[in-house]
Amino acid sequence: MKVSINWLKTYIDKPLETMQLDELFTTKSQEVESYQALVNATDLVVGHVKVCERHPDADKLSVCDVDVGSNVLQIICGAPNVKQGQFVIVALPGAELPGGLKIKKSTIRGVESSGMICSLIELGIESKYHYETGIHVIKDSVKAGEDALSALGFKDHVLALDLTPNRGDLLSVLGVAYDVAAMLDLPVEEKTFHVKETSTLNPMDISTDTEDCLSYYGRIIDNLTIKESPSWMKARLIGAGVRPINNVVDITNYVMIELGQPLHAFDFDLLGSEKIVVRNAKKNETFLTLDDKTRSLTEEDIVITNGEKAVALGGVMGGAETEVTEKTTSILLESAVFNNEKIRKTSHRLDLRSESSMRFERGVDPVRTKKALDMATSLFIDYANATVRKGISYFDNTSHSPKPLELSLSKINSVLGSEYSLDYVSDILRRLGFEHTIKQDTYLIEVPSRRFDVLTYQDMIEEIGRISGYDTLPSTLPSTISVGKLTPYQQFKRRIRQSLTGLGLHEVITYALRDADSVYDYTRSNHIKAVSVMHPMTELRETLSLTPINGLLDVVRYNVSRKLDTVHIFEIGKHYQPSKETEVLGIAMQGIYHDYSWQTTPEMNFFTLKGIFEALLKRFSIENVYYEKVSLKNYHPHQTALIKHEDRVIGHIGKIHPEEAKRLDLKDVYVLDVDIEILYELSEPIKRYQPLGKYPSVSRDLAIVCDESILAQHLIDTIKSHTDSRLKQVRIFDYYVGEHIEEGKKSLALRLQFEDPQKTLETKDIDFVIERIVKALKTHHDAVLR
Amino acid sequence: MNIQETLKQLEDALRKDLEGVKTIEALQDIKAKYLGKKAELSLLMRHMKDLPNNEKPAFGQTINQAKQAFAKTIEAQRNRIEEALLNKKLEKETIDVTMTSPDFSQGTAHLLNQIIDEIEDLFIGMGYLVKEGPEVESDERNFEMLNLPKNHPARDMQDSFYVSEDTLLRTHTSPVQVRTMLEYGGQKPVKIICPGKVYRRDDDDATHSHQFMQIEGLVVDQNTSMSDLKGTLLAIAQTMFGKDRQIRLRPSYFPFTEPSVEVDVTCSKCDGEGCAMCKQTGYIEILGAGMVHDNVLKMSGYDPEIYQGFAFGVGVERLAMLKYGIDDIRHFYINDLRFNKQFK
Repeated sequence: MKVSINWLKTYIDKPLETMQLDELFTTKSQEVESYQALVNATDLVVGHVKVCERHPDADKLSVCDVDVGSNVLQIICGAPNVKQGQFVIVALPGAELPGGLKIKKSTIRGVESSGMICSLIELGIESKYHYETGIHVIKDSVKAGEDALSALGFKDHVLALDLTPNRGDLLSVLGVAYDVAAMLDLPVEEKTFHVKETSTLNPMDISTDTEDCLSYYGRIIDNLTIKESPSWMKARLIGAGVRPINNVVDITNYVMIELGQPLHAFDFDLLGSEKIVVRNAKKNETFLTLDDKTRSLTEEDIVITNGEKAVALGGVMGGAETEVTEKTTSILLESAVFNNEKIRKTSHRLDLRSESSMRFERGVDPVRTKKALDMATSLFIDYANATVRKGISYFDNTSHSPKPLELSLSKINSVLGSEYSLDYVSDILRRLGFEHTIKQDTYLIEVPSRRFDVLTYQDMIEEIGRISGYDTLPSTLPSTISVGKLTPYQQFKRRIRQSLTGLGLHEVITYALRDADSVYDYTRSNHIKAVSVMHPMTELRETLSLTPINGLLDVVRYNVSRKLDTVHIFEIGKHYQPSKETEVLGIAMQGIYHDYSWQTTPEMNFFTLKGIFEALLKRFSIENVYYEKVSLKNYHPHQTALIKHEDRVIGHIGKIHPEEAKRLDLKDVYVLDVDIEILYELSEPIKRYQPLGKYPSVSRDLAIVCDESILAQHLIDTIKSHTDSRLKQVRIFDYYVGEHIEEGKKSLALRLQFEDPQKTLETKDIDFVIERIVKALKTHHDAVLR
Repeated sequence: MNIQETLKQLEDALRKDLEGVKTIEALQDIKAKYLGKKAELSLLMRHMKDLPNNEKPAFGQTINQAKQAFAKTIEAQRNRIEEALLNKKLEKETIDVTMTSPDFSQGTAHLLNQIIDEIEDLFIGMGYLVKEGPEVESDERNFEMLNLPKNHPARDMQDSFYVSEDTLLRTHTSPVQVRTMLEYGGQKPVKIICPGKVYRRDDDDATHSHQFMQIEGLVVDQNTSMSDLKGTLLAIAQTMFGKDRQIRLRPSYFPFTEPSVEVDVTCSKCDGEGCAMCKQTGYIEILGAGMVHDNVLKMSGYDPEIYQGFAFGVGVERLAMLKYGIDDIRHFYINDLRFNKQFK
């Protein structure tokens, strides 16, 4: 909503331009988009072109003698439309125009020029508000030498408010005036309009067949002269962001902006009857709107008919057949109220959103419906030389009476946390113009119909709070006593993140929505269903991801393409499935882990990532997790495994298939996806202190040779199942294939660590166990000591 | 020549011999020469029997003292030799301490999660619980139960991704508030914050993202007030932007709160004086908040006659961008590691 301050001053007769309205609206009402002069220029006067002759040396230039009141200036003008006798806008030498242009005396092709004759564009009035290309010719009666901006109504400021959807009451100059009045504690002077009628009776018969039209007032106005509107009216419309057209259109817009009540004019001669019947559209009904488009209507639309056929789409747009044109002399002027939800639906469905439909959607004050008709009628008499037939035809089912609302002082203070007194709040209500009585500590408030947005006690508390000013409220904290903490699972997630960053991985966050085709690229199952949005904005953001690996690989690619060769990242994301979201950890690693600089750096491989994952398992005391080699699409067929626990798959780990990596412009990338909700279930909180072993541990190395195909895990399992709890750890410290080892065989060196809580282990104790192990390895795996 | 002079001569000879001894072997020879059985000192001892009895003890003592002194002198030399040998050995182990070391850098938590952690910790300290919920939500919990019935004009403000007629990607984390109130059955006070991902139909550009992070807060009790909201928001502002920050509440509109406010914080760059960052206003908008609408309480099982509350919602990206002067919201989702690594 853009409001001219001059217009506002017709309701509040105070120097509002000095009262910092922008600051006031910001803190107490609505966000201010801008607050500035309508035209930012100095030293502009009205000039009377006395003489206008062609420049002796330039065909397209005119040399004019312009009377500017105090003297006559010679000004060169390049506009083709300049003519003798015109009243024009003159920028005197020394004037400053928008955009920083300074006017100086100059000589143009040997002829002196003292100033400039201006177009509206040069004044900063955008071309969307007028059709003019040349200089602006003033048509109102003006005198040479007077201030041009004042004469044209441009000496004004405009306050542009960014309205929230609830404050439909501020979609009018009058509504804004009431808010200013409440904030500054000033009176609003309402206007009254007297309409001089002729003796000819208004013949209209107006009725409705639908409850969606709440009131409808109509007058017949004759003998219209269609012409340009006066400058002051055009200036205020421009200030309000509305393009002036002609007096009939401008007057209906002007009244709408001043009072918030949209109006519509029908060419009375084309109406075809003396009857208006409002009804809902019929199924499959079509209608030609005044933009010459045929609209298909539904039973939710409201149509204005002449008793036989539709002549307007109620509250949204008029019809082409009854449109006011240059030839129009009589009009039926409509001022009506429609069901706001129906208007919203119709205007949205047909994408016909206008200043009118917006006001109907957000609400109009039923008290102003007739008033708007009267105001417009009196303007037609004054600015279109019109005559008005006797009487208004109407029906009105709206309530004009204020709505009562009850609210206690204690509730106000409880909600706001304030310590207002009865009198203080009473004074704020008075400033808002809300009549009220007080009974003990309770206010009985009558909310005027113009504040149709104030419906509940909470709305009323907001009014009191904002007018009083939220800056006056104290800053306290809730008195509710409660224990604040993270759940163990939330702590678990934080610890995972801490561990991984401690291990040198960077956390990332990626987009969950991806293209539908790629979401299965790195999953461990094809049988899961994905969730897609119905109307994606782009194919690239259509389906929710089924593993964070896609997003992680995007990040790896991005960074690798920027010459970063080491990318180690993780994300706690989700598997999004229909009605099921599972939190998962994703990791992707490319490039060496822990760069040893000039010292020997081990290669990054499958086991680096596995080691990082196992660091997590150890931190959370998760045991009995094992790996099962698996073949998955887009993964290396021999370097990928499912991560399992007691036959349940909890994740997968592996190398991206070299072909796939090549497609992504990547090299050796290792990734992991593991369900952290299950990991959390498996994690063992520390329950009890374990006494430290008193006796030294003993380790023993075993070097064995066995078939290359035998899994290390199987060997370790065999060792474990043939010992007891004294075996604390088994580690493989050497792996060898090649020379001196039979083809198809491998040599492994294992270090077994034993500890007995009761005594120092002796050689013969260990020997006994080792003998058993060696036997078992031979029996089960045909593994022999080297 | 008396005995003292003889000993003095011997000691001088020993010191002379020890000079320049570099090896333990050579030292051993000298030791044998002066302290061995055939050493002069041992030979002197033999003269004792020729002495009168009354002189014998003093003579013996003198010789023994000299023995000890010789041994000490030799030991001292041994220490010097060993030290020199060790030093020589260590010198061979010299390294260039300015050579580069292995890179054991820690990783970084994502900036958005760092901010979420920081705000969670602030609120946990004030007695709040952290609640999370699904990102695919029902229209009912995302809109209807927040006083946004179908066709409500304010739904335009939150254009959303529907996955079916009645399910969508949540447009805010408020449905978690609804879930919590329902879980509590309208019976006990609520004090929660809800962080998480949300989605809106925005084209991604420098200031818009179709996916972003939000933290919402909700307190419901019998006397929770707007002043409590103000104090709580001040705590956020001062935690995020410094203890000298002040806040300003401006009237606004959200369907789920009434009164509703936008919250500005005094610009940390110019301290409220007005600068380019705050567009000369001295303030920067950081979040929206308000007192919970009665309809929201009612629909989630709380009796508005008894309970009232406040709610707020803050965009995590916005906080991060303001705090660190980040100019493009896409940085958070592209994860150029040169960006991520700046926030340790």
